[in-house]
Amino acid sequence: MTILFWGLALFASAFVIHFVLWKIRLPNRQIKAILQIFFTVLVVGILLLWSVPDTSIFCGIAPPTSFAEQIHISLFFISLTLAYMITYTALEADSPSLVIMTAINDAGPDGLDKKCFDKLMNDDILVKPRIRDLLLNKKVKMDGDRYVLTPKGVLFAQIFITYRKIMNVSHKGG
Amino acid sequence: MIGDYINVINPIVAFSINVAVQLLCIRFVMKGLLRSLFSGFAVGFVSLLLLQVSVTFLGIAFFSNIMVNIIIYSSLGYCYFHFVNLGETARRIRILRELYDSKGGLTLDEILERYNAKRMVDLRLQRLLNNGQVVLKDGILFNGKPVLLLISKTILLMKVIILGQKSEFDK
Repeated sequence: MTILFWGLALFASAFVIHFVLWKIRLPNRQIKAILQIFFTVLVVGILLLWSVPDTSIFCGIAPPTSFAEQIHISLFFISLTLAYMITYTALEADSPSLVIMTAINDAGPDGLDKKCFDKLMNDDILVKPRIRDLLLNKKVKMDGDRYVLTPKGVLFAQIFITYRKIMNVSHKGG
Repeated sequence: MIGDYINVINPIVAFSINVAVQLLCIRFVMKGLLRSLFSGFAVGFVSLLLLQVSVTFLGIAFFSNIMVNIIIYSSLGYCYFHFVNLGETARRIRILRELYDSKGGLTLDEILERYNAKRMVDLRLQRLLNNGQVVLKDGILFNGKPVLLLISKTILLMKVIILGQKSEFDK
């Protein structure tokens, strides 16, 4: 119960800080900001839990007493943070499948004409913003009128290309 | 004391089994990423339960931590699912891969020649039509099964609550 309670308490604290900061101003690099907030809360929280006396009781729950419990809380917190971060990517950018479902739903019971649908789904809303994201996150840079990968972009591309090779996936996807 | 450390390691071991089973399934046993991902998750989950029960019977760990470890395992499994999915469907990753395959980079027109909204939407719409989430009747598109629509509405609600906007173009 100690791990569940303190893990959730730290995660909730980080989420509240992130939520309040987002209401004040949306950062340019949102995922990076989320990671900074959550990992700062984890480090500070673990240090605070380490420093309180073992006899202290909060809401009927004692603080963690062993190093193993501190690691367990950290693992719990990190796994939730990564799950939230990956979910957040779907909030940050409009997913094409979500745009498709919403457009059809918004059309109401008469449905959406396929020709109107094709006009709605264009490069300006589905592709160009993602290229801008890559520039903003410094995975891609401009070389004249050409887009080229930065070392960070090469690393990201290699991770996914290698993993697709391991899985023996050959189609292009997307 | 040792039991505490075993409790920490259990979800990581189960997650490793999940990844290993998924890779074995996709390479040697079955076609279809989704099925391999579900199979890996299911085997990893059963492994986690067996590990938790066995260490409890050995008396070196506490059964009460099972809830924590199920949450850790499920979160890691969820991340892995999305990691694999990103490599397949994420637009940013697809553009990175196209740039990686090119020598000396690509112009905007060259990127759009290789990967554009029309191709992407056709591919995704076909997937949605195949699994019945969308229905095409006499040139008109209708919502089909409600699962993806429900997920879309949940994501929209989260967008409104956290970001204060329904779309990235609402800024």
